[in-house]
Amino acid sequence: MTDNNQNLYETLPGQERYVAPIEETPLQAVDKVDDSAPATSMWADAWRTLRKNPLFIISGLLIICVVFVALFPGVLTKQDPNYCNLDNSLSDPAAGHPFGYDMQGCDVFARTVYGTRTSLSVGLLTTIIVVLIGTLIGAVAGFFGGWVDALLSRIIDIFYSIPFLLGAIVVLQMFRTSSSIWKVVLVLALFGWVSTARIARGSVMEAKNLEFNTASTALGSTPIRNLFSHIIPNALAPIIVIGTTSLGSYIVSEATLSFLGVGLPTTTVSWGGDISQAQVNLMTNPMVLFYPSMALAITVLSFIMMGDAVKDALDPKSRTA
Amino acid sequence: MGKYLLRRILQMIPVVLGATLLVYALVFALPGDPVKAMFGDKPVNEAVAAQIRAEYNLDKPFIIQYLLFLRNAFTLNFGNTFAGQPVIGEIARAFPVTIKLAVMAFCFEAIFGVVFGIISGLKKGKWYDSVILIVSLLLISVPTFVTGFAGQYFLGVQWSLIPVTVSSNTTFTEMLFPAMVLGSVSMAYIIRLTRSEISSNIAQDYVRTARAKGMSNGSVMMRHVLRNSLIPVVTYLGQDLGALMGGAMITEQIFNIHGVGFLTYQSILKGEGNLVVSIVTILLLVFVICNLIVDMLYAALDPRIRYE
Repeated sequence: MTDNNQNLYETLPGQERYVAPIEETPLQAVDKVDDSAPATSMWADAWRTLRKNPLFIISGLLIICVVFVALFPGVLTKQDPNYCNLDNSLSDPAAGHPFGYDMQGCDVFARTVYGTRTSLSVGLLTTIIVVLIGTLIGAVAGFFGGWVDALLSRIIDIFYSIPFLLGAIVVLQMFRTSSSIWKVVLVLALFGWVSTARIARGSVMEAKNLEFNTASTALGSTPIRNLFSHIIPNALAPIIVIGTTSLGSYIVSEATLSFLGVGLPTTTVSWGGDISQAQVNLMTNPMVLFYPSMALAITVLSFIMMGDAVKDALDPKSRTA
Repeated sequence: MGKYLLRRILQMIPVVLGATLLVYALVFALPGDPVKAMFGDKPVNEAVAAQIRAEYNLDKPFIIQYLLFLRNAFTLNFGNTFAGQPVIGEIARAFPVTIKLAVMAFCFEAIFGVVFGIISGLKKGKWYDSVILIVSLLLISVPTFVTGFAGQYFLGVQWSLIPVTVSSNTTFTEMLFPAMVLGSVSMAYIIRLTRSEISSNIAQDYVRTARAKGMSNGSVMMRHVLRNSLIPVVTYLGQDLGALMGGAMITEQIFNIHGVGFLTYQSILKGEGNLVVSIVTILLLVFVICNLIVDMLYAALDPRIRYE
């Protein structure tokens, strides 16, 4: 070493500038990759990001509360939402009836609590159907391309160009007499699958050109197997994001349809129906309209915030420091 | 460009045909016999009923009805309503009102959406960014009819700042608040879209390059960040103009505006199938043409896109 130190910074014959001897260059340090962290998949990575996001924690807690109310409405109120006494019509809040009464003399608190189940079921069922159908059709169009894509894309365009609300009203008008929530779910799904299909098509087209498919094909896997075990899982992120966000918008749409009088019948306890009923007495008793609207807004808000958080976690490009 | 335009127009044809056929099938599958309904409580005179059915082509098979409708629609002859009024007259009365409302809503959402989105995106984390974000989230999660009622109650009834309903004159001041309500949800989406586009574009390498070249901050923003960020916003706006015309149903209902949405809703309830399909056909064309214009606009915004 002393020898080396002596002619430090001295150029050797044939060299134009000083070159450090190889032992002095800490090549190992350059090469060293931090492998102390366990190997993670994209989903585990997303989950780690999610857990630290306050948006996720707040919306997650809100969603847990909403789901709890939907599953066990009896815990919060002992009142029957369908027990209405006209003597109580538009009465002020009283002990045990914190939100007062609506025009029919029904307990507003009980109706708001029991309405949760209806709205959440409509939102959840519609989202499940839309994601399944939309992903399947979009994936088939994006994967096979050619005339299959051309045909499916035109069908998507057709449904896309029909105004959502208009189409929904026309169809629901035919099933006025039915009182099941399925008619609303199916109509929302009928006009809702297109946006998911478009997104699924785009992201499948992107994923199918990635190299792991070539690798998988080289290992002998069939195109269909590639589609289901590699392409769709890799194209799933944007679908999950739009699914979470649109769950909220389906709840709003259900309320809007009930407000227009073509959604759920008045015998079903729902926020949209209650808001629509309360609208008549808006000028004198605005609070009757306020409570179900508030419950609706909180529920929708928590799903949109959840969608934002999931988007941040799954899409590293949109992630901000 | 010309070739591309032609191809797009050719592609539009099956979409418009398919969509009108679908709507036609849905509307004319409506239960109830409108001809019977015309007689009210009186006994149905079969001869008169048959004559009316022939007049409205209701006696012909479905597909023939549809083809006849298409043929007439080409000459803007949409026939008569069951009440005896020409459909085109009803439409001509309603459309200017809705166009006015939709254009006002469109300007509102475009201007405020983009401006607030830019402010929010450039100053991420500041208190006004949080305020803008929370307000836009609230506008999305509260249904339009609740926003409309709340505004009508507080601004109109309690504080008398705005007219409570819209008269048949549809003056600018009367339409201002309904237009804001109609555009509010889209405005919130535009704010969110602009904000996320700006904040992701600002972190791109080309922005750093532009700054390194010594370009002034204003030029970097105008020529690089904004231009790139606005492409998805323009797409959204283009699709929304068509959607606004059809989506005005709720707003028109609340503020008693006799536009297309009001007319469509009334005609669906009354079973005026002819009127419904005519309106939907026109709305479809508006929507499809708006989308086409947006595609053409891309080339102006993004020089990388060239239509061959």
